[in-house]
Order: sequence, then structure tokens, then C-alpha cells
Amino acid sequence: MIQHHTPGGLGAAESSRTAPFVEISQLSKRFGATVALRSVSFDIRKGETLGLLGANGAGKSTLIKILSGLQPATSGTVSVQGEGREFTSPNQAQQLGIVTVHQNIDDGVVFGMTVAENLMLDTLGLFQPNPFLTYRKIRRRARALLEELELELPLDLPVEQLSASDRQQVSIGRALAKSPNLLILDEPTSTLSSREAELLFGAVRDLQYRGISVLYVSHRMSEIEELCHRAVVLRNGSVVSEHQQPLDLRAVTQSILGDLASTSLGAGRQHAPGDVVMRLRGVRSGKETAPFDLEVRRGEVLGVTGLVGAGKTELLEQLAGTRPLESGVITLNGSEYKPKSVADAIAKGVVMMPEERAVQAIFPDESVSRHLSIGRMGKVSRLGFMDRARERSFAEQVIAKFAVKAAGPDAAIETLSGGNQQKALVGRWLVEQQSLVILDEPFRGVDIGARAVIATELHEYSERAAVIVASSDPEEVLEVADRVLVMVDGRIVSDSPAFEMNSEALADAMSEVQRTTTSGAPQS
Amino acid sequence: MTTTAPADVPTASAPLPGDEHRRPAIGPKLAAFTFKYGLVLVLVLMIVFFAVTQPAFRTVDNFLFILQASAVVAIVGLGATVSMTVGGFDLSVGATVSLSVMVAATTMVKFAMTGTTAILFALLAGVGVGLLNAFLIVIARIPDLVATLAAMFLVNGVTLWWVNGQSVAVGMTIDGKPAPGVFTEVFEWLGSGRFLGIPASVIVSAVVFGLVVVLLNFTRWGRALYAVGGNPVAAEAVGIRVRRYRVLAYVISGLLASIGGVLLVARLGRGDVAVGDAYLLQAISAALVGYAVLGANKPNAVGTLVGAVFVATLINGLTMFNFPYYAQSFVQGALLVVALLMSYTLGPRRRR
Ligand SMILES: Nc1ncnc2c1ncn2[C@@H]1O[C@H](COP(=O)(O)OP(=O)(O)OP(=O)(O)O)[C@@H](O)[C@H]1O
Ligand SMILES: [Mg+2]
Repeated sequence: MIQHHTPGGLGAAESSRTAPFVEISQLSKRFGATVALRSVSFDIRKGETLGLLGANGAGKSTLIKILSGLQPATSGTVSVQGEGREFTSPNQAQQLGIVTVHQNIDDGVVFGMTVAENLMLDTLGLFQPNPFLTYRKIRRRARALLEELELELPLDLPVEQLSASDRQQVSIGRALAKSPNLLILDEPTSTLSSREAELLFGAVRDLQYRGISVLYVSHRMSEIEELCHRAVVLRNGSVVSEHQQPLDLRAVTQSILGDLASTSLGAGRQHAPGDVVMRLRGVRSGKETAPFDLEVRRGEVLGVTGLVGAGKTELLEQLAGTRPLESGVITLNGSEYKPKSVADAIAKGVVMMPEERAVQAIFPDESVSRHLSIGRMGKVSRLGFMDRARERSFAEQVIAKFAVKAAGPDAAIETLSGGNQQKALVGRWLVEQQSLVILDEPFRGVDIGARAVIATELHEYSERAAVIVASSDPEEVLEVADRVLVMVDGRIVSDSPAFEMNSEALADAMSEVQRTTTSGAPQS
Repeated sequence: MTTTAPADVPTASAPLPGDEHRRPAIGPKLAAFTFKYGLVLVLVLMIVFFAVTQPAFRTVDNFLFILQASAVVAIVGLGATVSMTVGGFDLSVGATVSLSVMVAATTMVKFAMTGTTAILFALLAGVGVGLLNAFLIVIARIPDLVATLAAMFLVNGVTLWWVNGQSVAVGMTIDGKPAPGVFTEVFEWLGSGRFLGIPASVIVSAVVFGLVVVLLNFTRWGRALYAVGGNPVAAEAVGIRVRRYRVLAYVISGLLASIGGVLLVARLGRGDVAVGDAYLLQAISAALVGYAVLGANKPNAVGTLVGAVFVATLINGLTMFNFPYYAQSFVQGALLVVALLMSYTLGPRRRR
């Protein structure tokens, strides 16, 4: 799937690649008692694509927020083309051509406006001789932009009706439309499917050929290897190493994880499928797709993969009570299971972690501890009264078990880095006994070390309960699953033990079949 | 090629170089302090000022009088607070006060029933308005503000219709005959009775306050209410029955408004037309002022009570300075602006 060609732009831009575009010097940032960045210094050279790496909470997003004018630094300087700058607003950074696509995708779109308006948002504020700007005109320009970027998006739909990956594409499109001198991408692919990611890589290579700098953050090594000329690694807020192409992936990983590198990464294991926990008969993922049967067992992690829109979420939500059952019969531990609501499903021991963290799981301004107990309040209350002590000890348990980096259980959830939020929200379901745990895209924004922690926990957990993990990234699925289902257009096209599969075969199964089917009515 | 910095990376809590010379910045600290304690501090200073300058202010009787004056606002405001916790807004609380005033008055005066029956009917009317709001918002999916605005007009209209636009008072003539009933003992006690020297209305509001504090802060249902207000999609995803909690919130809001109405009619001793109107703005502003109390930055019971007492104290003190009654509205407006500045301008930035 990923071709290993070296990053482009080595020709014409090569000579100027030594001159720095942005120089970061002795930059520090503190939040109360937490030091997020500590005397960070490095350059971003003209025309280079620089990878910024680090574990969850290393300080990557913080650095980016400073560079883009969203947050002030505590101390240190940033200079652009040799001139010292202090950004006090995102506008100032943009005037110098520093354009950012933030980790939280909804920072990049304006709800209540259509896709076309969102794409053209930045030109709306510009002075124009003709003050009358019709929607038709906006739409025409937006369409031209999409054509140039080879994107396909529904222009007239309000952005809030788009899927996460489409919203991400809108923010990327918006950023590219600003013709940046430095494009900053904070985990841009965490919500994209591999096909959409390829489009993004194409756009990045295009920028490379035009001599435009890119700062690229990702937890996926293959992307860094494919795109970046150079990589800088942050750990606990300090720069710990710098790597040149060709990258020594082992050294990079070691440097990212530090002491933690010794914890076994994706250790091989034998699994012994146990009793059937859930049995599906004649269930379908959508109204018009073919029905199928499926058995979910204790003792194995069932991976479900498929392109974005293949029907994974639609299927899983029926199991979790979020959607009514389309057809068929489900039994859970031998008796009929027909959840009337999510609450009903949870009461029967079926829990699901939804895929979109910000929209579906985060309560603004609330503490970590409240997030951890919200779905299990019956267990931390007596006669309806909350038992704060029990609540706190549960939170501490999750934080410790999943190495969540937080100031404490009472810290507001927004003060955690993206990956740490994810670890906490996944971990809250894995401490207690459930019948079936469903995780939709659990690895979004989670670093390699934490992925290994979650995978190990899942394996151990699957001894006691059935576990389903859905992801559109075949490599992620192989990392954690014992058995892999591939879905295409709402159907299950392959079901096999993970050791028989590799990521190429999975990627083929995900897309090949789709190309040959003519009834390619898109789901969701 | 790899260049690696020294292996020991300081932990997150180690001091930054130059920390020893760092003087804490005054500006942000002051803002944070004001955000948290500003309003309470102003209230305390105000009480001290009035107490020092006005001997009449610092009597126990006046203290109880202030609490009595804020009782109805506090109870109605607590109801509005509960509707705000689910991300809603109840504009019909004033109309509900009027409705329950009239229901209680006519039950006793026109139909000569007991005070207990009157209270029961008044509270049922309040719950009814809550259910109407819930129907419009949860079933018909009309936005809260618009739905409760419509309900406000409807309820006001029904109330006026029901009494032919006339006040209800003991001894009034109906169809040429004097009305048969009177305000019964229960109402006299609620209006002017005392228990251990404390006015009945203050006791009732203290009880209501206690119940709302416990509900919102110490129970799982309170957690769920706030969760629904914070992010209904996420609340649904962890098994909270969002629709039920929104119904619950509006029913509580209607119920508390009608309790306020019962206290009000007891104090007035008659059912005046549109007497509840004034309570809409006062109750809502008490709840909004409450955002600024102790840095809560969200609807909360303690804040609402402080907001209600604040207004009553301010008006009481200013009256002693012969401040004209018609300037009260301005004073309330100024207080609301100050409180909103504290919670929105000085408070932590919120997204979106
Ligand atoms: N507003 C804030 N208040 C307090 N602490 C914060 C705040 N924002 C970030 N932090 C802390 O700063 C540290 C760095 O966070 P940052 O978001 O930069 O990490 P990251 O490298 O982007 O991680 P991830 O890979 O998970 O996105 C974390 O320990 C985080 O808890
Ligand atoms: Mg980040």
C-alpha cells in the first residue's frame, strides 16, 4: 500500500533547503505546574518536510499552537526568515504564510456553513472591489479548488453533516487554498482512510516540489519515512534527537519512547478461541445490504476493517444499541439480545467506544474522573448519591493502568494531549468485566508505545470477554486482532485468522472487490 | 544519521531554567482571583458597607426581610437553573408563577376548597407547563428558547382567560354574588407565619435550595443533567437517556416556578393579574449571576441563591439610601453585566 520512495523536492529546492524558514530557539511553555516544552530549539528549513515526532503528551501540539499563534510561549523566540516574531494571533502567523491544520479537526471548520463556504472562508474576509458575493460565485470557486486538489466533497452540505474524514479534508483544503509558505499538519491522517491519505501525500509532495516547507506530525512511522526529509523527536517537552533520511526506524522509535522502549512492542501470542459470546443471524449493516451470520468469541480479539463508509460503524452501532437492528436475530451468552437503547446495552454488558472523540465522547470543561465514571455511575454511587472516593480510586486505576499523562483525576479533559484523552476513554471500559467491548477506531492519535499498551490490555481482557476492534487502517488491525473481518459495501468479504493475513492482502481485499462490484452504492 | 541529545530528559514537573528569576505575572493571577471570588467579595463588601452606614440595615429583622424578599426569586431561579443544566433555557417560568398564583387563588376563593387542595392544584399546573415545554422541545424538537417563549404566551393567555382578565380577591363578586371562599390557614402561615422566628417562605426556599443542591451536586441524576447539557451526543453514547433528562429538567423548572407562585400568592393574600411577569427576568438573571459565583462558569444552585440574595440585598440597602424604586431595574442590569464580565471575560476561554 505504501510505496517507499524517498521524499521529493530534492532537485531545484535542494540548494535553498539549507536556509531556515523558521528558527525556534529556547522555546518553553508551562501550564501551571506542567512543563509542556522545555528550551526547544530547531529549524524548519525552506522547502523541507520536517517530521515532528514524540509520544502522547510530548508537546507536539503545544509547539504547533505556539507557532500558529494560538497560544503564547512562556519564554524563547521564534523567528521567521531571520526576523524575530511573536505571534499574538493566528492571523499574524497566517500573514507570514504559516498555515496550520490542527489536531482537533473541528478547529478547522465552521459549523452551520456549507462545505463551499468553509472552503472559501478565508477569502470572504478579503477586500474586494465588488462587495456582493453570491453563493453561486463562492460555490464556483470552491468547486475549482476541489478539482485542483482532486477532492470529492458535497459542496452544498453543512459541514456538520460530514463524516470526520470529510471534515478533515475540508480543513486541509482550506489550508492549501491559503498558499502557505509553511504548512503545519498535526496528525492529519488519524481520521483519514488510506485512499484519502494518499491524496494528502500527493498534495504534500506537490508542495515539496514547489519548495514549500511542511511540518508534519504523525504517530505512523511509515508516513514519516515516506514524506519527511528530516525528523525531530520530542520527549517530555525536550528535543531528544534529530534524524536524517534515510531514517533508522529503530533508533527513532527508541528515541520517542525513551525508557519505555523496553516494553515489548506487539509481542506475538497464541490465542485460543473460547465460547461464543455473541451470535448474529441474518444481520445486515445497512438497509439494502445482504444479511450475514457472525460469531464473536471470548479469547480472541476480532478486528473489523474496511474503507471509510464500508459499514463497520453501522454494524457495530446496532450491537451497542445506538441504532435499531435492521434485521435478523442476535443472541448474547445464549439468550436473545435486542438492545432498546445504549443504556440497555450497557446494562447487559455490551459497551462501545465511538469513533469520533471530540463529538461523541468529550464533555467540555469536565474533569478526567467525571469522564471515566459517566458511563458507569451505578457503580460509583449508592442510592443515587455519588461516592466520590470510589470514583476517584477508579480514575486513578485507569490512569495508572493505561499510563495516562494527566495532572490528576480532577484535571479538565482538555488539558490532556489528544492521545492521552483517547487512552483514558478506551481504558474506562477495560477495567471491569463486560460481555462485549466494541472499540471503533481506538488508536486515533495514540502513540506506538500506548498502542502496544492498549493491545496488550485488550489481549489480556479478551480472555474474559469478547472484544471487537474496528479500524480502517489494516496495519493497526493486524497489530491487535487475532481474527480479521474485511467489510466492503456493507458485506463481509473475508474472515480469516490474523496470522494468515498481511497488510497488503488486507488492503487488496478492502479495495479490489469494491472496484469490481458494480452496485457500489456508498453507505452511511 | 542520528544525533542524540543527552539521555536524561527532565520530568514534566522539574523547574524550567530561569524559573528562579520568574516573578509570577500579576495580571492573569488577579483575573483568576476575580473570576473565582470577585462576586462573593463584592457581596460581602456591600453588606459591610450597608451595615456600617445604615443602622437599620444591620438588624436581624432586616436580615430576615431580605431573605424573605429573595425567597420567590431564588426558588424560581433554581428551577431555571435546572433547565440550564441540560443546555436549555426556560422563558416560561414567569408565566408559570402567574398561572399558579391564579390557580391557587381561584381554588380557594371561587371554589371554596382547602388550602392544601389549592397548593396541590397550583403545583400540578406547574408540572403541566413543564410537560408542555418538554413536549414542544423533546417531541416536537423546537429549540428551547423559542418553545418556552411560545409556552410563555400560551400560559399567560390561558391564565388571563381563566379569570376573565381580573384579579381574584377574597369577597370579590362573581355573577352578582360574593365569592364563597377565603384564604385558608395554610396560606396565612405561608404568607406571614414563622417557625422559630424564621419566616415560612424562607424555610420553604431553604428546603428547596437544599434539595436542588443535593440533586445537582451529589447525585448521579445531577451528573447526568450536566452531561446532557455539556454534550448530548456523548451523553447518549454512554447510556444516558437524554430525552428523559430533558423532560425531567423542564418538569422540575415548572414545579419550582409554581412553588414560587404559591409563596407569592400567600404573601400577597390575593391573586393579581400578571404578578409573575417580573419574576422571569429576576430569576433568569439570578441564575446567570450564579455563573460567576466561585468560578463555577456553569449553572449551579449555590450561585443562583447568591444571585437572588445579592439583588435583594442591593435593593434593600439602596432603598435605605432613598434610592428611587424605579431605578431598581437599572441596578439589576448593572449587576448582571458585572457578573457576566466576570464569568465570560475573565473566565477561561471556552471553545466555540
Ligand atoms: N491547556 C492546557 N493546560 C494544562 N496542560 C496542558 C494544556 N495543554 C496541554 N497540556 C499538557 O502539555 C503536555 C503536552 O501536550 P501536547 O498536546 O502538546 O502533546 P502532544 O505531543 O501533541 O500529544 P499527542 O500525541 O497525544 O497529541 C501534556 O502533558 C498536556 O497534558
Ligand atoms: Mg497533539
